Amino acid sequence: MSTITYILLWPLLGAVCVAALPGSFRFAIRSIALATTFISMILAILLFVGFDASVAGPQFVQKVPWVQALGISYHVGVDGLNIGLLLMGAIVAFTAACMSSEIETRLKEYYILLLVMTVGILSAFASLDLFFFYFFHELALIPTFIMIGLWGRGENRNYATYKITIYLSIGALLALIGLISIYVQTGARTFDIIELTRLVSAKPIGAQSQGIIFPFLLFGFGILVSLWPFHTWAPLGYAAAPTATAMLHAGVLKKFGLYGLIRVAIPLLPDAARDWTQVLALLCLGNILYCGFVAMRQKNLLLLIGNSSVAHMGFVFLGIASLSLVGITGAVLVMIAHGFLAALTFALIGFLHRQTGTVEMDRLGGLLPRIPFVGAVMIMAMLAGCGLPGFANFVGEVTVFFGAWKVFPVITVLALWGALVIGGVYMLRAIRTVFHGPATTAFESLKDAVHPLARLSFVLLLGSLLLFGFFPRLLSDKIRPAADQIAAMVAPRETTAPVLAGTSAATDEPILRR
Amino acid sequence: MSYAFPWFVLFLPLFAAVGIVLFTLKNRNVSATISIAAIVGGFFLTLLFLVNHGWTPGRNEVNWLWMVVGDLRIEFGLRLDPLSLLMLLVVTGVGGAIHIYSRGYMHDDPNAGRYFASLSLFTFSMLGVVLSTNFVQMFIFWELVGVSSYLLIGFWYARPSAADACKKAFLTNRLGDFGFLWGILMVWGALGSVNFVELEATLKANPVALGSLATAAGLLVFCGALGKSAQFPLHVWLPDAMEGPTPVSALIHAATMVAAGVYMLCRVFFIFNGPALEVIAWIGGFTALIAALMATRQDDIKRILAYSTLSQLGYMVMAVGLQGTVPAMYHLTTHAAFKAMLFLGAGSVIHAMHHEQNIWKMGGLRERMPITYRTFLLGTLALCGVPPFSGFFSKDEVLTQAFEHNPVLFAIATLVAMLTTFYMFRLVFVAFRGGHRADAASHAHESPGVMTWPLMFLAIPTVFAGFWGIETLLAHQFGGAAVHASGSMLDHLFSPFNHAPASAFLGLGAVGIGFLLAQRLYANAETDPLPEKLGWVSEFVRDRFYLDELYAILIRITHDALAQVSDALDRWVVSGFLVKGTHGSVELLGRGLRLLQTGSLQTYALMFAVGVAALLYFLLGGAQ
Repeated sequence: MSTITYILLWPLLGAVCVAALPGSFRFAIRSIALATTFISMILAILLFVGFDASVAGPQFVQKVPWVQALGISYHVGVDGLNIGLLLMGAIVAFTAACMSSEIETRLKEYYILLLVMTVGILSAFASLDLFFFYFFHELALIPTFIMIGLWGRGENRNYATYKITIYLSIGALLALIGLISIYVQTGARTFDIIELTRLVSAKPIGAQSQGIIFPFLLFGFGILVSLWPFHTWAPLGYAAAPTATAMLHAGVLKKFGLYGLIRVAIPLLPDAARDWTQVLALLCLGNILYCGFVAMRQKNLLLLIGNSSVAHMGFVFLGIASLSLVGITGAVLVMIAHGFLAALTFALIGFLHRQTGTVEMDRLGGLLPRIPFVGAVMIMAMLAGCGLPGFANFVGEVTVFFGAWKVFPVITVLALWGALVIGGVYMLRAIRTVFHGPATTAFESLKDAVHPLARLSFVLLLGSLLLFGFFPRLLSDKIRPAADQIAAMVAPRETTAPVLAGTSAATDEPILRR
Repeated sequence: MSYAFPWFVLFLPLFAAVGIVLFTLKNRNVSATISIAAIVGGFFLTLLFLVNHGWTPGRNEVNWLWMVVGDLRIEFGLRLDPLSLLMLLVVTGVGGAIHIYSRGYMHDDPNAGRYFASLSLFTFSMLGVVLSTNFVQMFIFWELVGVSSYLLIGFWYARPSAADACKKAFLTNRLGDFGFLWGILMVWGALGSVNFVELEATLKANPVALGSLATAAGLLVFCGALGKSAQFPLHVWLPDAMEGPTPVSALIHAATMVAAGVYMLCRVFFIFNGPALEVIAWIGGFTALIAALMATRQDDIKRILAYSTLSQLGYMVMAVGLQGTVPAMYHLTTHAAFKAMLFLGAGSVIHAMHHEQNIWKMGGLRERMPITYRTFLLGTLALCGVPPFSGFFSKDEVLTQAFEHNPVLFAIATLVAMLTTFYMFRLVFVAFRGGHRADAASHAHESPGVMTWPLMFLAIPTVFAGFWGIETLLAHQFGGAAVHASGSMLDHLFSPFNHAPASAFLGLGAVGIGFLLAQRLYANAETDPLPEKLGWVSEFVRDRFYLDELYAILIRITHDALAQVSDALDRWVVSGFLVKGTHGSVELLGRGLRLLQTGSLQTYALMFAVGVAALLYFLLGGAQ
């Protein structure tokens, strides 16, 4: 069996065990959740280390036929596009379990849902079968709604649950229509993504059908990723969600839509993708500029971070819209980096919220001396959020800019403004209001994070951001061959020559200049 | 082996910063020692490297591949040539003295551990800028310099003024960085490389390779320098940055960070074409003039020095614009030493005066603080450009460059020289001479050795750097003969007068006039006589021409207004038809919306689906 299967099975096993235990075994339940997600994380790290960057196709593949009449099979594997996402997802899942100590009621149900959500997320990214790819995403989505509804916070909880449920269900539905249409159009009787991609590159789907199917995928997946103007569910939803749910959704599950665009929509519908890039590039400015501006006006820290998270998705869209090797690589880099970052910020704000009982920035102030550890990590996370070098986000964003520059120079410059200036303004204003300034007397009893699990999760997430920020080749070399394939597939026919793969590999060695 | 030295020079401060944060944050003395050891170690390693390999080592670039994707190749490397090695010495030498001084200055601060960690992080970033082999690497360290200065300016973040100042500094720098990165993208897009050596070779082979973008690319790259070197119109952050501890001002706002912009201009000088250089020269000259004017009306000892720094940076930028990279770098080097010394002297005064910074509350410090006074006077003489101090030679080269290329800028530069002497001697007369104007001044006493020794160390380059042949070294780097023939020390001293007598004598004359004016107005003055004589002009200059206020209005009617509009749209339009009324302020709309709020999920879903369908219809229609 492939390591991937074990990565997916452990949390599932955990969910089953928790379900079998009586609800009063609180310690055992929590331990099981922590242990299974931890093992799954370690396995994901091993998988990442064992991944061979020089191979272009999927690795660690396992394929078990399921419904042969329809061509559905359990088919998992990793290539450059999902190896980093799987690693990120597994790490975030473990830290989300660590941060779940805030849950006091209905522990058993909570942890079952958390573990199911984890299984769903990781499986969705690992699946190379279109059916399971979609199925596992839905499997992860449903616990999200329930968790926000039951364990959420704030007065807007019910409203937010409604809103997020409607938006995401519609998004998923649109995407489903698109996916089924593709299945029907190819007529290949297989859900195997690799196989479909191969078939389509030999015999493309008709241009007209592509033109009809693509918008379903674009907007279906787009809604899942809070593509402007379908973004308003996100800040509200995250503000209402329990910490772990916000971490898992904003960090990992949300990337499903982006992953779907890169993995399915673009390679299978390349002609339509080319027609729609202009629209996508314009919409991404809605995310970057508009949501950035909205973030500037927020007084609630959670809404600020929620809007900033929406804004960051714009960089991924821009990278995808460029349809170039550099842009797509950058997009995947931003997805991974943002996953760590979103998880980290939501974990920190969750901690803050539990300590202070409020996330209204006007009521906070001068907190840094009281909580030096959490404060310092939070400031670093916010600086990472405004694209500071040293953190993985910078690498991703700057790569996207380089990739998009040749295709959309004006839009790239506007995005640059969003990244460097608007991002800087709202992040620094938040630091100024919450952490700097004279200490208020209101929070004298505030305690810093002392629990080793809490500290461990902050350190893991921040450490990942720094590691990939300092050594981006750990990711970029793995992503490149896969991104190269996609870029070659979507390149206009006459110039479709897979030359890039050869040349980019050949110049890996540093040049010594005298 | 010794090729590894520069790597150590670069990374020792980073290790120091990380080590302090992880292990010794609570222990002030150990933290200080680690931080000092890292930078002083770097200074000696640089010297050793120079002894082994000279100023032009055989291998002038060492690279390690940082990231490669398609046609984007980003390396992480070390550039080793006279320009970067000279800057290494400046950063580690002057910086080292400031680190040692900080140990005394910050001795009583409970957070000194954090201070030294930030200081080491800053040193690492600055060394990174100096050693960068390509644009992206430089941009990375460029941003890191920005953030470490943010941490240092905001060191006393509990004070609202410091918290605001660090935010302002970072955001103003970000504006410059926006242009810088834009310029980098443009250069990469047109020439396909970000490496300095490759770019220079490309442009040498084909000077019009950038085509119609040449001027734009040059000016955008220059934006980076506008921010870091605080040139008009992005100069506003530097005076506010004086909210940081004084040694920080010496390190960041005199010797290193602000010099990064000028260094970058010299490093990528090959990229600028005629029109771009013209703009650069005028911006530099204009900054030099307005900053010198503002400096004459300040009462805070650190702010006077801050405006003086702005003005001197304007000189350097102007020199670059007039194709004088040698004078610019020469003045940068000497200025780093004497301005750092002046700031440290000011710090010594502030320390003795229990954090009083108003010069009109000082007076008579000459007797109370002899070492500080003498070094401060040496620094002042060097800054004014009095022979034989180092500032005389470097400033003379700048003036000569202006004299030969642009008479109007030469006139401005000479006027600035006069103003410089005027405000510096105003400071000296008011703070150090005359009687004690306040109690604190009469009780002040000399600072401890850990603070005075760095002052005396920095006095060496202040006095003698003019005789060390820095200009010959730089001329070698930039190709071209040294302006002054080297001979005996006496020959060297008189060479400016032989070589370009007009500019030298005019410059000296300006210094003389400035001194006489200052002496007439401020020797033994109890209050400032100028406000009465000049009336509103004085106020206008004191309040920095109201530029800060103008910017505040500009930001409010543009950026903040856009944010307000977006937010309103988001609240009422984009999420409008699903808005359930968020609390009281929403009531009005909420009433109208009540009709839509049936509470039934199906209705909402239907409405939403209809909306999506309509949108899709329009988008599809538009796409075909």
